Amino acid sequence: MTVSPDALEAYRLKLRYKVYYHLGSSCPDAEDVVQETLTRFLRALQDEKIHNPESTAAFLSGICNNVIQEYRRRLWKEPLRDPDSSPPGCARDREPEMLELRQVIALIMGQLSQRDRGLLCAFYLEEKCREEICRTMGLSDVQFRVALFRAKGRFRKSYHETMKQNAPGEH
Amino acid sequence: MNGADKVQLHQNPVFREEMIRDYLLKKLDTDTAEAFERHYLSCDDCFEELRVAQVLMAGLRQSKVELRRVQDVLVLQFAGPAQLTRQSFELEELQRVFQQKDTKVLIDLGRVIKIDSAGLGQLMSHYSHVVKKQGMLKLLNPSPEVQTLLRLTKIDSVLETYHDERQALESFDSA
Repeated sequence: MTVSPDALEAYRLKLRYKVYYHLGSSCPDAEDVVQETLTRFLRALQDEKIHNPESTAAFLSGICNNVIQEYRRRLWKEPLRDPDSSPPGCARDREPEMLELRQVIALIMGQLSQRDRGLLCAFYLEEKCREEICRTMGLSDVQFRVALFRAKGRFRKSYHETMKQNAPGEH
Repeated sequence: MNGADKVQLHQNPVFREEMIRDYLLKKLDTDTAEAFERHYLSCDDCFEELRVAQVLMAGLRQSKVELRRVQDVLVLQFAGPAQLTRQSFELEELQRVFQQKDTKVLIDLGRVIKIDSAGLGQLMSHYSHVVKKQGMLKLLNPSPEVQTLLRLTKIDSVLETYHDERQALESFDSA
């Protein structure tokens, strides 16, 4: 079994989400955890340990779980960092990138209508159930589904367009 | 997440969105979260929806922690009901805003409805960091439940706590 470079990059991106989910978005070593996962995955491929291509994702997820566990154990054993060096959980390398992303998101959020924002907040942040949102906003089930995905779609479109404009070499 | 759930993910967009939301809010149990991770590692559609939802939620919660400055004191206040618990959004948000260089900080806990050892640990870490910079960190308006926890853990003997914002702000000058 072989994996194309494109597929490997897609796995890298997806693994980042998994690692940040488990170690927190401020983890300074998340990229190392992802890289170690992919290294072990490629080694397993070379050794022909993956027999069923359909179980590749499960295999990769299992490797990633192991690497995350090992990382946590290592953190547990290592002495605490000097609190003077940086605030707790601070990933300084990502600060400019995160600041730019926050500015972009703030800009897009400002473009959404009050109604869209209200619906998205109720669903994603306040964790309100569909029935409650429908009751509060006077929507039917179908109207709720349409409104939710239209609002998300508007956000997606603006986000992709803004990121495209901000991409290097496009100015 | 069983086979039927996987089919639902693609046939029922609201179900998928709820799954994504609950995953990002860390509300799924370990097995379901693991099953969803295995799924999105192999499914580009679901992963794309996850990515967009994550950015969207980041945007929506940007206003979750409000910052204002009163003279040279940075006052942090949660915009809505907040939980300072392990891996909660609010805890991460508090961590984010603390990357600033402020040394006089007042945290308004008035809307904090729940706090656990992770939240208390975070407050103490920030306190230590601010003190190392010759600064001060104080708390405002903890609920009776949070106040009890602060007392039981003896954190209230280290972190000054106030119930009146004016008094809290004045205490920074008199210190």
